[in-house]
Amino acid sequence: MTTVQAEGLSLRFGRTTALKDVSFALDDGVTGLLGPNGAGKTTLLRILATAIPADAGQLRILGADPRGAAGRLAVRRRLGYLPQNPGFHPHFTAFEFVDYIAILKEIVAGRHDEVRRVLHAVGLDDQRGKKIKALSGGMRQRVGLAAALLDDPALVILDEPTVGLDPEQRLRFRELIAHIGEGRTVLLSTHQTEDVATVCQRVIVLNQGRIPFEGEPVALAGVARGRVWTSPARADGALAAWRTGNGDYHNIGDPPPGARLVDPSIEDGYLMVIDAASLAGRAA
Amino acid sequence: MSARDWHVADDDLRAYADGAAQPPWLWSTETHLAACPRCRQRLAEHVDPAAVRAGWARLDAELDAPRPGPVEALLVRLGLPAHTARLLACTPALRRSWLTAVGFALAVTTAAAHLARSNTVPIPLLAIAPLLPLIGVAISFGPRVDPSYELAVVAPLHTFRLLLLRCAAVLSATTALTGVASLAMPEYSPVVLGWLAPSLALTLLSLALTPRFGPVTAALAVGFGWLALLGATVHVTTGESVLFTAPGQAGLAAIAAAAAMALWKVRAAFDTNHHLGRTADPTTRRTT
Repeated sequence: MTTVQAEGLSLRFGRTTALKDVSFALDDGVTGLLGPNGAGKTTLLRILATAIPADAGQLRILGADPRGAAGRLAVRRRLGYLPQNPGFHPHFTAFEFVDYIAILKEIVAGRHDEVRRVLHAVGLDDQRGKKIKALSGGMRQRVGLAAALLDDPALVILDEPTVGLDPEQRLRFRELIAHIGEGRTVLLSTHQTEDVATVCQRVIVLNQGRIPFEGEPVALAGVARGRVWTSPARADGALAAWRTGNGDYHNIGDPPPGARLVDPSIEDGYLMVIDAASLAGRAA
Repeated sequence: MSARDWHVADDDLRAYADGAAQPPWLWSTETHLAACPRCRQRLAEHVDPAAVRAGWARLDAELDAPRPGPVEALLVRLGLPAHTARLLACTPALRRSWLTAVGFALAVTTAAAHLARSNTVPIPLLAIAPLLPLIGVAISFGPRVDPSYELAVVAPLHTFRLLLLRCAAVLSATTALTGVASLAMPEYSPVVLGWLAPSLALTLLSLALTPRFGPVTAALAVGFGWLALLGATVHVTTGESVLFTAPGQAGLAAIAAAAAMALWKVRAAFDTNHHLGRTADPTTRRTT
């Protein structure tokens, strides 16, 4: 069974269109939701997490329709959610915070054992008695992830969990996410193409409330095939160009005749599928 | 004789492992085991590994089980289930800082009444007391004040239930403190309890308006509305107001009942942060 089936989702905040006619499907494994700031990623994740409803469209999550109270409850019982800014009560220890969320998740039997299990799963055995305010950013994110893993959810939604982490913490977090994605559906929102390249089996690109690409990361890179080249000077007409470590320019766009084409990366493909206005802004 | 000169016999080690060793031999064995690695190793052979693991697990559970803070411990002592007490312990309006502020405000109004030494109606107390639970509830639940609000909304526990739990706790705490302040007034008469009906009316009205305007705007509108109504009805010299007469109190009680019904009608709106998000949640407005 498909975990999430969305058809024509739309949502407006006043005059702002956050999502417009968004359709996609999610199955087991890690799917990356890639997009620039303001693309509508958090709004989409909030809809999937049943925090807000869409204005229009059809949505089925784990076989339930979240528009009704019963459907929402059915989804929430099998959902793990890590918001972009998970709020922590500062006087709580890691154990106490996860325990608090376990109560909100109505876990009754063996609650403390379940809290210990998820803290172990994210590698916080030794930190569970520490106050959250004393933990590093990476550890706090792991506390949030532990809370999301309570009760073994079938769908895990993670909103930019690697933001603000140093390279080592990001690496560890990616390992965790890859592990979590075995046997369940994980939707990982990010604006870092490295996250997608390392842990995602599929990727959805969201830009200005629309989905211009959905497929495998390799296919996303393939979008830029034949449209990435290097040159000793910045190429005129390139949609985006930047200087690389060896001094050459890495150009994306329509290559001139005889250009030195190179294999595209996921980032190249991503830049190709977002609109020309965004590209112009990045290149400037 | 030192610990290295002798070793515990097998039978005694077995008895110790089974918990059957008796003092003073028990004390002697324990002292020896603390100093003798060889006997500790031999002891391990007499102990069931599963029992040791279970023992460690029990110890572990005991060590990192949440230690209730003062508010949580008090709530448990008052008979609330531990998990409910934990949910309430996160309520900002039950924190020491807020309760201290409430106590201070009430102490000032009580002291002012004593200093005035007049027989007029204690308007400062009656004006301020209904605002305390109103503000307390406004700062107890919502996107701006509860750090885990978003996680609470998407949790299976119904958000409206969590809201009512916290409201009941805030109302109970402020009612108890205001009750003490009323008893400390220089002239005790039924009129000093005139804050009770407006407290309930204002709090319920604010909650009923929350899905439409957000918690902070709703509380501000209701609070200023209350002060305006009071200002319009209070007699300048005697301090009397129709609000604290029997018909006025009945009217406020009717408002409370109507607000309770309206709140029940809109309870489903608390199940998502749809309305709160559109009108009052800056994080949602900034949403990406």
